[in-house]
Amino acid sequence: MAEESYLTDDFLRQLINVGEVDILVGLPTHNNAKTIGSIVRTIQSGILRGFPRERAVIINVDGGSRDGTPDLVTGISIDDVRPASNPYALRTLHSISTRYAASPASGVAFRTLLAAAELLRAKACVVMSPESANIEPEWLSKLLYPVYRDGFDLVTPTYRRHKFEGLLITNLLYPMTRALYGLRIREAYSLEFGFSGRLGSQFLGQNVWNHPTGEAGVELRFTLAAIAGRYRICQSFLGEKDHVERRAADLVPALRETVGALFSALEPDFRVWSEVAGSQAAPTTGTDGEVLLEPLRVNRKRLREMFSTGVAELESVFQSILSPPTLAELQRIARLGEEAFHYSAELWVRTVYEFAASYQKSVISRDHIIQALAPLFRGRVFTFLMENRNASADDVENNIEGLCLEFERLKPYLLQMWKSRE
Amino acid sequence: MPLSRDVLWYKDAIIYQVHVRTFHDSNGDGIGDFQGLEEKLDYLQELGISAIWLMPFFPSPLRDDGYDIADYNAVHPSYGTLEDFQKFLAAAHDRGIRIIIELVSNHTSDQHPWFQESRSSRDNPRRDWYVWSDTDSPYKGARIIFLDTEKSNWAWDPISKSFYWHRFFSHQPDLNYDNPEVREQMWQVMKFWLEMGVDAFRLDAVPYLVEREGTNCENLPETHAVLKELRRKLDEQFPGRMLLAEANQWPAELRPYFGDGDEFHMAFHFPLMPRMFMGLKLEDRKPITEILQQTPEIPPSCQWSLFLRNHDELTLEMVTDMERDYMYDTYAENKTMRLNLGIRRRLAPLLDNDRRRIELMNGMLMSLPGTPIIYYGDEIGMGDNINLGDRNGVRTPMQWNGGWNGGFSTAAPESLYAPLIQDPVYGYPAVNVLRQKASEHSFLNWMQRIITVRRSTGVFGRGSIEFLYPANHRILAYVRRLENEAVLVVNNLSSTAQAVELDLRRYKGSIPIEMFGKNMFPRVGELPYLLTMGPYQFYWFRLRRI
Repeated sequence: MAEESYLTDDFLRQLINVGEVDILVGLPTHNNAKTIGSIVRTIQSGILRGFPRERAVIINVDGGSRDGTPDLVTGISIDDVRPASNPYALRTLHSISTRYAASPASGVAFRTLLAAAELLRAKACVVMSPESANIEPEWLSKLLYPVYRDGFDLVTPTYRRHKFEGLLITNLLYPMTRALYGLRIREAYSLEFGFSGRLGSQFLGQNVWNHPTGEAGVELRFTLAAIAGRYRICQSFLGEKDHVERRAADLVPALRETVGALFSALEPDFRVWSEVAGSQAAPTTGTDGEVLLEPLRVNRKRLREMFSTGVAELESVFQSILSPPTLAELQRIARLGEEAFHYSAELWVRTVYEFAASYQKSVISRDHIIQALAPLFRGRVFTFLMENRNASADDVENNIEGLCLEFERLKPYLLQMWKSRE
Repeated sequence: MPLSRDVLWYKDAIIYQVHVRTFHDSNGDGIGDFQGLEEKLDYLQELGISAIWLMPFFPSPLRDDGYDIADYNAVHPSYGTLEDFQKFLAAAHDRGIRIIIELVSNHTSDQHPWFQESRSSRDNPRRDWYVWSDTDSPYKGARIIFLDTEKSNWAWDPISKSFYWHRFFSHQPDLNYDNPEVREQMWQVMKFWLEMGVDAFRLDAVPYLVEREGTNCENLPETHAVLKELRRKLDEQFPGRMLLAEANQWPAELRPYFGDGDEFHMAFHFPLMPRMFMGLKLEDRKPITEILQQTPEIPPSCQWSLFLRNHDELTLEMVTDMERDYMYDTYAENKTMRLNLGIRRRLAPLLDNDRRRIELMNGMLMSLPGTPIIYYGDEIGMGDNINLGDRNGVRTPMQWNGGWNGGFSTAAPESLYAPLIQDPVYGYPAVNVLRQKASEHSFLNWMQRIITVRRSTGVFGRGSIEFLYPANHRILAYVRRLENEAVLVVNNLSSTAQAVELDLRRYKGSIPIEMFGKNMFPRVGELPYLLTMGPYQFYWFRLRRI
């Protein structure tokens, strides 16, 4: 029996009508009716300003919204059927939509966009977040020009962020990907990025779509695949990243999508990262990121409590994952008071590397390993907040750089653990 | 073949535009003439055209290719005599071909006796036949049309020591239509040719007849009044004759030139033409459908006149700045191809001599609502010579065969009014009538076939149009209808094969008959009608209810 396609007949029919394009804008959504209207209009404006002559399409891949999100996207097509409602445009701009049944975090949306990009022979593609309230029309050009004009294959964003925003990125994803893959990509996992049709096609053909419903964090795998495949990669500064309130319960899914994806990439990419020493800067348009300093309320006490509780309750789990010295050190600091508490960079890097090695060995369920990292990450965040509460932008950057260098310095430790398995 | 008696003959016409100078030289002086044109009438009859539009052939200093007339009631000696013209006219009528001539009504040459008298003194009785001023300050709201050559619409006359008004070149002073004597004189000019048997006039530059302070001096109510007066006299004294307006304007501004069916019979649809080229390059029907959506309804007796190329530059006045930039970049990368606000190129070179695109463009020309005009030489895919100045590069001698001077003239090549196209691709040894007649699949024979098919039905000339808007924007599809007849036209603007689903439920039960091969296609049902189209392919289907 033939494998059921994740592209529906109706979607294929829409793609046939769109035909070959130069620019493809992908917009994964799930119940984004509140924000999507202004975002698609900004995207449309970005296309008309930056690419007025190019053949372009906006493709919405929706994870079963019940709030009418797809209708808001398709309603902005520029065509000759409703010319009165169009902004001025040289050519037709299709805005089409398709739905999928899997979980919104499954990666099916991205896979669908990659398939559409290949079928439409798109030269340059961009994926935009349906939640970016701060999006500007220029973001399209910033993410697409390097691909369309300058021959880059992947454009990742940099943002102006508050110093305490994106802590998973600054404390784990950025320093670890940098140390392992040797390229300084600030936002290796982003919901906004540009890429070439050839990179998209290459990734679509890779064996990363094992699960029938897709794979979480596939966007990070995409970045890592681009680095591993020696594709041309650059960064582009977009502007301010809007603040999104996160609940404590959001951390584990976030870890699954990001850290899980990173850990699972390490085995197939071993030949690549095991030969990398040090790191190189990626070409960047604009700044490497900017830091905002205004006060931000964070419940630090709760973070430390969750760390201490986690270390105590998950001791048996940690015994499977961590080396005895690391676990002992964690238990020691868990007993410290708030003022004395300090989760050092070295201890944090050792913790993460030991988690990565254990993930690779599957000492216990991989999902349990990822979940177990959550309380430890909160402890590290507590220290980061304490260290940087009065820090200037430069100080914050220096601290992040220090952590990165620690990840690079201790990389042989990870390699040693990895090889000991073999 | 007698001329049809239908007063709406222009609706079914296929018009062929030619300058007598360019077509055939009968006396070996290097310049085409009426006797030569008459000798080629059989060729035009065989091609299938039903009307000839002659560019100005009147006595003229020829500083604007005859649009600077020095005598309205005679023939330029280079082209023959009045008797030669009358003989040509009769021969054309014998073949069922009508003759449309130019009436350059807005201005004369500065060599015209009227102007010479007018400038001779401020007291001359014809002083007021032109527009004079002591300063160059009036009518500042009027744009300058020939931007590349003129700095002002006023020119200083050293003889009468005052300024005269000119919308075009400074050697073309504008007539003063506020003067009733001028209006009467222009009617007398028309009457002169109408009594001879001329079937229609193409009125040149009609928006500019009257000037008023505080306006842009275009499309004024007073101008319309002048034109309506001419039309009334024409209908009263010469029913069945036709007036064709040259007014390079947006559709909404063009509409008043039809009046209530009491001004012009026809008008050129200038904004459509560049958008056909744009749609083809963009591979997107949007520019074409949008301009046709903006085109207002016209009175039942009126008709649009459609063209792909003509004797002027491919005008880009009626497009936006962004569209103009796009057209320049895609059709005239070489800046020498640009002139004024346009592109001075012929059809075939514009389309890279791509037979499929040339056929598609002609297919649209023949099937969109209006009367098509074919520019001489485009039926064989003639090229141009951008090294010749002004618009002369698209006005080179007709290429009849591969022999001496391409069969145009027996004169020494250096004495021809303009050099023949000689490059390897478009030169007369490669592109000529004789060679294409001998080849069944030549472009000339294809043109003959499409004209025959077009003339096999009245639906293209007189029918309504209904756009289908399939979701595939590379497909331009419409149904032309006239009474019980319906023709489905499907054009693929893309360079690649396309699939398209058409909503033809309204024609459920009809059998599409492809009009060129006369083959049947599957009957139209309730489901979307699927067609696959090759690159730049087009279909004309007669929808038969059998």
